[in-house]
Amino acid sequence: MRLTGLAMLAGMAMIAADAPLMAQDAMAGLPASRDFSGVWTTYRSSEGPPPGPRAAPAPLPLTEEGQRLREEYDALMGEGGDNAAAHCVVYGMPTMMASAGGYPIEFIHRPEQLTIIYEVESETRRVYMPGHGIPPEKRLPVRQGYSEGRWEGDTLVVTTTDMNDGFDQRSYPHSDQAVIVERFRKVPDETVGAILEYQMTMTDPVYYTAPVSLERRWMPLQDGYIMAYNCTEEAWLRLLEARRAQLQAGEPVTAKMSDVIDVYE
Amino acid sequence: MLRPLLALAATGAVLAATQAQAHHSAAMFDFRNTKTLSGTVKKVEVINPHTHMLVTITDDRGTRDWNFEGHSASNFYRAGYNRGAVQAGDPITITIAPMRDGSDGGYIVSFITKDGDRVNMASTSPTGR
Repeated sequence: MRLTGLAMLAGMAMIAADAPLMAQDAMAGLPASRDFSGVWTTYRSSEGPPPGPRAAPAPLPLTEEGQRLREEYDALMGEGGDNAAAHCVVYGMPTMMASAGGYPIEFIHRPEQLTIIYEVESETRRVYMPGHGIPPEKRLPVRQGYSEGRWEGDTLVVTTTDMNDGFDQRSYPHSDQAVIVERFRKVPDETVGAILEYQMTMTDPVYYTAPVSLERRWMPLQDGYIMAYNCTEEAWLRLLEARRAQLQAGEPVTAKMSDVIDVYE
Repeated sequence: MLRPLLALAATGAVLAATQAQAHHSAAMFDFRNTKTLSGTVKKVEVINPHTHMLVTITDDRGTRDWNFEGHSASNFYRAGYNRGAVQAGDPITITIAPMRDGSDGGYIVSFITKDGDRVNMASTSPTGR
């Protein structure tokens, strides 16, 4: 009893000692070199021409099953490449980050969490720092996965797990066993202010025989905005319109989303 | 996915193609042979993921409504579009990538509003400049 009491006291003392520190950290925020907050776009130097289309990547090191799913997906999308976002579905990882810069991407950076919002579909990722986040048994398998960060110097290293099967990732398809490791580093730049360097490596024992990687560079978006991106609203409004027409006609209000869903086409 | 993008790049419509590609299959549109038409706007929806514009056009085959598709609302605004700049009833001059199969319709490349503002998706930079 006495020991328990002491242990509790010690525990409370530790909490009490930790609490002001954590509050201080949060209030102090991040040093500039580790603060990625802002709206970013694809880096291009002021002298050079805008980046042209990227060279075709080397064939992906897919396993037999990975190759089969990739070919099936290509056939489902047809020539020219239909994709999830054209149907108001978030890209997920790693396509969200592979696409970032085509539309602006926003970083909201706090010591305990980095929140990343891509303009397309307002797709959101959260990167939890050590001591924060969601326990493994409570993580939903989702297209964005679950991301934990840690600092290596001023490089933020983010490990993403808990993705659901991403056979429909148009950048790099993957299984639900895939793990993505990203490295973010902010480098001062005389011309554009700062460059955010990004490197990603994905390993997936089910669909791949070797890791795959990509690199990106972003710069602050000047004289521009990141915009709200409401994509499914039109279908909802059309549903209301269809039901209102029924109501006003004195008919049963039975219109369903499937009656108006052609808005996506 | 990359092949049509590279093919489009050769036409000089790199950015337009890049952004079309960002969301959508561009295969059904002929970006090599854009054409400019004049008509009257019947309906406009600047929405995500794709804008739609219904335009009444008269040509040697008669008068009818053409349904055009375009970039996302975001890219419309970046390309110079301002809220409410196009309304039903407005005259419009519109440059499109026509349907490859020759049917009515196409992908919106640029247009001039009734107030003379030019909205040009081909020159849109993702930086918003």
